[in-house]
Amino acid sequence: MHEFLTAGIIGISLGAQYALLALGFTLIFGILGVINFAHGGFYALGGYVAYAAVSQLGLPFPLAVLAAVIVTAALGALYERFLIERLVDDHLATMMLTLGLYLVISTGLLAVFGPQSPEFSFPVKGTLRAGTLYLPLENLVVLAVCAAAIGGLWLLIYRTDFGRALRALADDRKVAMTQGMRPGLLFPLAFGLATGLAGLTGALVTPILALSPSAGDPVLVTSFLTVILGGLGSITGAVVAAIIVGFVEAYASVYLGGSAGALILFVTVLVILLARPTGLFGREIRGA
Amino acid sequence: MLEIRDLEVRYGGITALRGLSIDVREGETVLLVGANGAGKSSTINAVIGLVRPARGTIRLDGMDITAVACERRARLGIGYSPEGRRVFPTMTVVENVLSGAFGMGRRHQRQALDWLVSVFPFLAERASQPAGQLSGGQQQLVAIARAMCSQPRLLLLDEPFLGLAPIWVRQISEAIREMQRRGTTILMTEQMARPALKLATRGYVMRGGEVRREGTVAEIRDSALAEEYL
Repeated sequence: MHEFLTAGIIGISLGAQYALLALGFTLIFGILGVINFAHGGFYALGGYVAYAAVSQLGLPFPLAVLAAVIVTAALGALYERFLIERLVDDHLATMMLTLGLYLVISTGLLAVFGPQSPEFSFPVKGTLRAGTLYLPLENLVVLAVCAAAIGGLWLLIYRTDFGRALRALADDRKVAMTQGMRPGLLFPLAFGLATGLAGLTGALVTPILALSPSAGDPVLVTSFLTVILGGLGSITGAVVAAIIVGFVEAYASVYLGGSAGALILFVTVLVILLARPTGLFGREIRGA
Repeated sequence: MLEIRDLEVRYGGITALRGLSIDVREGETVLLVGANGAGKSSTINAVIGLVRPARGTIRLDGMDITAVACERRARLGIGYSPEGRRVFPTMTVVENVLSGAFGMGRRHQRQALDWLVSVFPFLAERASQPAGQLSGGQQQLVAIARAMCSQPRLLLLDEPFLGLAPIWVRQISEAIREMQRRGTTILMTEQMARPALKLATRGYVMRGGEVRREGTVAEIRDSALAEEYL
């Protein structure tokens, strides 16, 4: 029984990580109508920025995570402002731009840090014992940070003028502009917010999993799968789907082994999409 | 307050406005009457900045705003309710209304919302309902409340009565009268000119992107050209 409960805690922790990644991915699609193929790149970049901040600058881990968020958010915002913004309505062009950025980031990381995974470990170790349960502390810390970030994002999107403006731009950009909302300012901020979330996840999770220039490859696949399952552009859908994916991965890897876990996950998603092709909470947010 | 001079608007090879000149004085409610394709919405779209004129000037209180970005015009005191309602469908009624006062601070937004709820109690009844689920008349009221929320000096209303039942025409007429009582200058378009003429002080009859006749409400009503729209 305690194996089941421990896997559940790990599943929630995984789900929270996937939720942060998927939220960024779905925000960019929902607001700009852009599928960001560079999302995994920002995850890997976040990991390396945190690693460099700890190993080269000697910063404590929380500050290194903050540095990763700032760098990835700033890079994302600048990329949107100066490149994507010019072609934002051309879906093929934005696809190529984000794919190109992913290649630049991953080859850049390879050139600077080399192909070997660096020594980068999570600063909190050990387990928390609760009765007969042994809960990995690092998973609990990641879960707490991700949950706080998801809550903060929810407040930002649903309780502030900034969030209202982003949602209005997603619903009807022209009318939103007539109400004084500036896409030239708000789109880069939204993009930066999303890439900052990917950077945050990378900085938090790569010390637990693995850090390598190609660490973003599986992340892109998982993010894509999660947002498709939740419904492209849906914030609630991204969180619910991420938790489903986290649970499926955790339980399948505990009871069936890692590769069977991936198979179960894809079959689950396939079955859900056959029943609901728009995803769990899917609807068109912006005509894409 | 608003001076439009020699305005020309083109969509590709089609000319929608041909040398249009219109004046709207402070406190007036001016009506543009005409059939589909007469150029009424193109005029409104040029004033709010959704289309860029090929020629001509638009001045607001003497300031040339012809090249000012659309999103800056709201800050200059122009409110806009588009043709076909175009509320933000996934956002609640209150969020829609507040989006009209974007960036004006919580205090202004709270005061504006209190005022709008006192004028339209319906907004409070449906406050947290997504605007996309409302009826056409309700959506039109939300779109007008959104435009009123910034308490604009110039209010642009594009076909506010289009396709609405008489009960909603009366409610929206009351909303427009409320803005008139507050001294707001209004430029509105309407195909079905009869209810709109009851609110207007002056009007222009448009056809083929040009003004064919202008005058007081009585003159417009008596105009042979206007007959087909009344």
